[in-house]
Amino acid sequence: MKSKISAMMDGELPDAELAALMPSLRGEGEAVEAWRQYHLISDALRDTDILSSGFSARFAARLEQEPAIVAPASVPKRAEAKVHWLRYSATAAAAAVFVGWLAFQPRQEVVPAQTLAKAPEAMPVTVPVPKEADDYLRAHQNYSPRNNLQGVAPYVRTVSDTARSR
Amino acid sequence: MKQALVLLVSLLLPGFALAEPASPPNGMDAPAWLRKIYQASQKLSYSGTFVYRQGERSEASRIMRLVDSGGDTEKLEALDGMRREVIRKGDEVRCYLPDSMTVKVDRRSNQLSFPALLPAQLSQLPEQYVVTKEEKARIAGFDCQVIVLKPRDDLRYGYRLWADTHSGMLLKALIFRDKGEPVEEFTFTQLVIGPHFDRDRLKPSFAAQSRHWRVENAAVEPANLAETGWTVNAGIPGFRKVVEVRRQLRESQRVGQIVYSDGLAAVSVFIEPIEAGRDPVRPGMSSMGAVNIYTRELANHVVTVVGEAPAPTVRRIAETVEYHKPQ
Repeated sequence: MKSKISAMMDGELPDAELAALMPSLRGEGEAVEAWRQYHLISDALRDTDILSSGFSARFAARLEQEPAIVAPASVPKRAEAKVHWLRYSATAAAAAVFVGWLAFQPRQEVVPAQTLAKAPEAMPVTVPVPKEADDYLRAHQNYSPRNNLQGVAPYVRTVSDTARSR
Repeated sequence: MKQALVLLVSLLLPGFALAEPASPPNGMDAPAWLRKIYQASQKLSYSGTFVYRQGERSEASRIMRLVDSGGDTEKLEALDGMRREVIRKGDEVRCYLPDSMTVKVDRRSNQLSFPALLPAQLSQLPEQYVVTKEEKARIAGFDCQVIVLKPRDDLRYGYRLWADTHSGMLLKALIFRDKGEPVEEFTFTQLVIGPHFDRDRLKPSFAAQSRHWRVENAAVEPANLAETGWTVNAGIPGFRKVVEVRRQLRESQRVGQIVYSDGLAAVSVFIEPIEAGRDPVRPGMSSMGAVNIYTRELANHVVTVVGEAPAPTVRRIAETVEYHKPQ
């Protein structure tokens, strides 16, 4: 498991295995623990500024408030030299004590688009309402059985400010 | 005695057509109520104000309908936000957008003309929804019967309908998901039933100015998209193909449209060629109240699936769209 997490962080894990690994990163467990440790090591090695305490909780709370979560179309591979994170796991515990708890929970919404495409049950990417939506909605509304219950009332949806302001 | 009273009331209200005068309202079961709502929507003349609610959004609109020897005309005026009017005369729908000085004209295809569609599908609704008659409630001064259509699976939304016990007129409609969380709602706040206004009031408010506006006329014709290589294998239980057309949208686009419906919810699949200079396609899901929109790109076309159905259903239909170059 740890070797797979390490390979994933280096972008070396085959897509099929990546899709299989993703579910284990939900919630808590060995995989999540390894993910945190390796990132902590990575940050320490690269001299990345450590985030203030409680950052991830605040981040998660704000993310929760976001109306639409847009996943990136593609995630560029890291240009830096590859590091085999597994090798550093022995020092991980010490590092963790030193820098403190960094609870970063990977969320499904921020998984690269390529894995979304592979996993049929994954959440689709959320995008703003397309600007052609009004025309589509009007064309659709003409054939909706709802007209037979409500007349033209549902047409109010078609030419909405909501769609235009985005 | 009761029947005589109903008859008397209907005689006292001129132009008021009772949907099912023979059956006393209390004795009707839920499917009979659905028929009554449907018949009311075909026959009644009325004018009123309703509020459309969706999440944070809430908009009031004025609606008028006149059914007489002059035909069947309906007018919708948005009272909040951007000015716009929708006027339907028979099968023709005109949308007046003063801000962009545009009139968008749409005609339903004769291939499967409404309203012949619904009564046949009404009888099939219980296959997909548990239809129950619930409590009575008062909406905008009308005593209403509540009818609930609870979906038998999670492929569609549920509906809660409030119908005037007397006329069957739909006073309120709520679309809900899962355990009853509201998705969107239409509620009349004021309503007068009967042809109590002049036909002139159904004319567009922008009649004079709109003579100089751009008119987008959507030509619609029946089509067989499979002949051009496009197939949709929707395979969603209860959803049947009801219409397959080729139409004009915006300027000169030739857009394929296939509509699937379970009798209450409808999902349209649009297949539109990508023209040079178009903004890049942004694949993914977006939603406006009960309407979910899924966009994907396939064989140099944009596939857009629009429907009053939960996002996974809309997406599932979108994913079954295929293109094979015709032999």
